[in-house]
Amino acid sequence: MTYKYFIDNREYIEALRKSGDLVDVMQEVDWDLELGAIVRRVCEKKGPAPFFHKIKDYPGFRAFGAPIATWRRLAVVLGLSPDASIPDIVEEWRRRTSGPAYKPEIIDKKDAPCKEVIIMGDEVDVFELPAPMVHDGDGGRYIGTWHFVVAKDEETGFVNWGMYRLAIFDEKTLVGPVLPFSDMGRIFYQKYEPFNKPMPVAIVIGPDPLSALASLAPTPLPEPEFTGQLMGEPVKLVKCETCDLYVPATAEIILEGELLPNVRLEEAPFGEYTGYRTSPRDKRNVYRIKAITMRKNAIMTVSNMGVPVDEGQLLRSFTLAMDMEQLLKSQGLPVTGVYMWPESTHHLLVIGVKPVYSNIAQQVGSLVLGSKAAPWFHIVVVVDDQTDVYSLDDVIHAICTKWHPVRGTILMREGVGTPLNPFASPEERFSQRAPKVILDCTFPLDWPKPLVPIKVSFNNVYPEEIKKKVLENWKAYGFKD
Amino acid sequence: MAEYDTFINKNFEDLKDEKEIVGVIRDLSPGKKKYKCLCAKFIVSKDPNKYPDRLWIRLGRGQLVKDHPCSVKIVEILKPY
Repeated sequence: MTYKYFIDNREYIEALRKSGDLVDVMQEVDWDLELGAIVRRVCEKKGPAPFFHKIKDYPGFRAFGAPIATWRRLAVVLGLSPDASIPDIVEEWRRRTSGPAYKPEIIDKKDAPCKEVIIMGDEVDVFELPAPMVHDGDGGRYIGTWHFVVAKDEETGFVNWGMYRLAIFDEKTLVGPVLPFSDMGRIFYQKYEPFNKPMPVAIVIGPDPLSALASLAPTPLPEPEFTGQLMGEPVKLVKCETCDLYVPATAEIILEGELLPNVRLEEAPFGEYTGYRTSPRDKRNVYRIKAITMRKNAIMTVSNMGVPVDEGQLLRSFTLAMDMEQLLKSQGLPVTGVYMWPESTHHLLVIGVKPVYSNIAQQVGSLVLGSKAAPWFHIVVVVDDQTDVYSLDDVIHAICTKWHPVRGTILMREGVGTPLNPFASPEERFSQRAPKVILDCTFPLDWPKPLVPIKVSFNNVYPEEIKKKVLENWKAYGFKD
Repeated sequence: MAEYDTFINKNFEDLKDEKEIVGVIRDLSPGKKKYKCLCAKFIVSKDPNKYPDRLWIRLGRGQLVKDHPCSVKIVEILKPY
């Protein structure tokens, strides 16, 4: 079954224009900080996505900022009304991710828009692309902020698409961290670097919205098949010019090259998803670019990470929570809902459970903190089924009334962290370790029933007939909503 | 006068004056190639007028040390790898 999806960003931009979620910026903007500052302010105001028509020094190019930085835009991406609620979006995601996956369809080069312009060899110069200086103080011009890197395990054929930040070093060189626990890191550090082999990569800038989503969402599927699952039909790919990798045919810009073994160059600092510049300038992985292919009048995509909410925070929070829900339900645990607020920079996971036996918070918390995704979060709040996991008011109330600071705190002193954790000590960041905590916001089951406090809310302390009468007469009483 | 910057993961006071450094500097010339990185051997002076080119210092998290412009002499441009 084919779902509603956009074949490329151009179709998506048109849809956002129609729904009132896009601003056409016709005035020339400077790629050096001005463009980034606009995108940052848009994120902080949760405003419409800016589509820049004129970029200083780069006639013919355009740029698309904050592509999916709001729930409204995510709803549009999933074919829903922009006013769809978060539970509606969750339901649509569940529907799509429970359908069949599809292997990609390979199309001919002549039918692939991303091959309209081809630049090879000595002619390659990434400074010819309008990579922005996103934040003042960044260590470079980040050409990869809303993009993904294609890599393949040659032994198994497993293909990974992952969003790994990328800065320009010089005309043919990009730099960026490849974390060892990432899918690409596992391939590179096990299969290529020990043998001093460069790893072929393709960097896809400006992919269609669902391919972009697939590249940052946790999934056991290879991302091209996962994209097909989200689309309800195969994603169309085309072969690279210089290697045996395949890229989405409708993407805006493709950089083909190699991740070099045993070479490191200075990268960062960079405004990161946590809302801080945490990782220092340091020697990190190096990509050598051998070819550029792109569409005519290509559209650079720009995500501006910083304080919430940008698309990294929104989409990683959303998809991590969905992944953790799937994990918990796959074990038959009595989970009522899982959610991460984007404002938590995907550091805080809320799990709703039916507390049908003792220590269930410890059980579900330990499971998610032992999962592959655990490096990305360190606080797990477990609430009961009287708490709406999507309601900040409800969860704050549960923490402040049901969580016992001693009995309810389950501390894991050592866990897998990332170098980007602002709260971690420099030593912990360096060694990618982080403490974790589970906050048990359920009342103990062994308390005598008469002693258990009763939640006092409209839903909880009135008879059904009174609630029904009040709801039916609400407007008659004189209330608007 | 050309302008460059470089990042140091230590305090400005600890920057070695008048010593040859092998590191990365960024070319701040306006235009499409602004912020291009160069691997180089260079000598920094905290006297802003000692060498012909300007060097701005940024700390490890990008903080610009704006009150202390330095000057720089590039001894040799190196291959990055």
